[in-house]
Amino acid sequence: MFVAIGAAIAVLTGIGAGIGIGIATGKATEAIARQPEAASQIRSNLLLGCALAEATAIYGFVIGLAIIILK
Amino acid sequence: MLTAKLQNGIAFTIPVFGGIPVADSVLTSWILMALIMICVLLTVRRLKPDRPGRVQSLLEMAVSFLNRFAEENIGRHWRSFAPWLGTVAVYIACANLSGILGLTPPTKDVSVTAGLAITSVFLIYGGSFRFLGLRGGFHKFAEPLPLLLPINVMEIAIRPLSLCMRLFGNVLGSFVIMELIKALVPVAVPVAFSLYFDIFDGFIQTIVFVFLTALFTGEALEQEA
Repeated sequence: MFVAIGAAIAVLTGIGAGIGIGIATGKATEAIARQPEAASQIRSNLLLGCALAEATAIYGFVIGLAIIILK
Repeated sequence: MLTAKLQNGIAFTIPVFGGIPVADSVLTSWILMALIMICVLLTVRRLKPDRPGRVQSLLEMAVSFLNRFAEENIGRHWRSFAPWLGTVAVYIACANLSGILGLTPPTKDVSVTAGLAITSVFLIYGGSFRFLGLRGGFHKFAEPLPLLLPINVMEIAIRPLSLCMRLFGNVLGSFVIMELIKALVPVAVPVAFSLYFDIFDGFIQTIVFVFLTALFTGEALEQEA
């Protein structure tokens, strides 16, 4: 019971990653709309930022799984 | 039931030295290696330097794309790193996509992704010492400020950890979701989700891994003007 609650709390890290990736993608879309010729550079920076932001969610997920499996 | 599927099973045991266990991920990797090798040997045979066919122009496009990518992200010394990046990209892509064939993806095993991440780190710091020299390589840790030395040293451990956990977590996450969907609706619906979780996510993670490695390498090789 408490194990499940702990895992659920760990997975809450997904909120931050979701907000972060949302903001990053929104800004990137704006930037591409303003300067379509820089699209490829913006896209690669967006990919990098998303990968780094997503890492927090992944850590939460891995820790949640570790709590359940290794308890 | 689900937690049993999350464990990395032992495929078989080699009966020497009291039995060496071979994990599922290793077996799948061997199968993938054999398939890739057969594909390569069959395709390479028909290539001619003077009259390029359709397959050859496709391959040449892929290689020049890879070279351009390496040149953009790594800089002057890109040539020694491009083949490694391409090899890892092919391996991770095949490993992530092997879920479609019903194999367990090798990247679901944390040992595989840890191995890949550790090789990446050797590449990054090895390249730094190889191209900047011993002094330049050590000096790289005190850049841009000597104050940042502890953070730069910590990055030696943080970079492989985050590379490893990112790939592992993503593949395991999509595996868990796919298993849940299969348990809920066994017919038709998993196919649609498989398109996203197996194919799209697999490709994105391949790109991210290779891109981050190239970026870190480029940063490690950067010289002060």
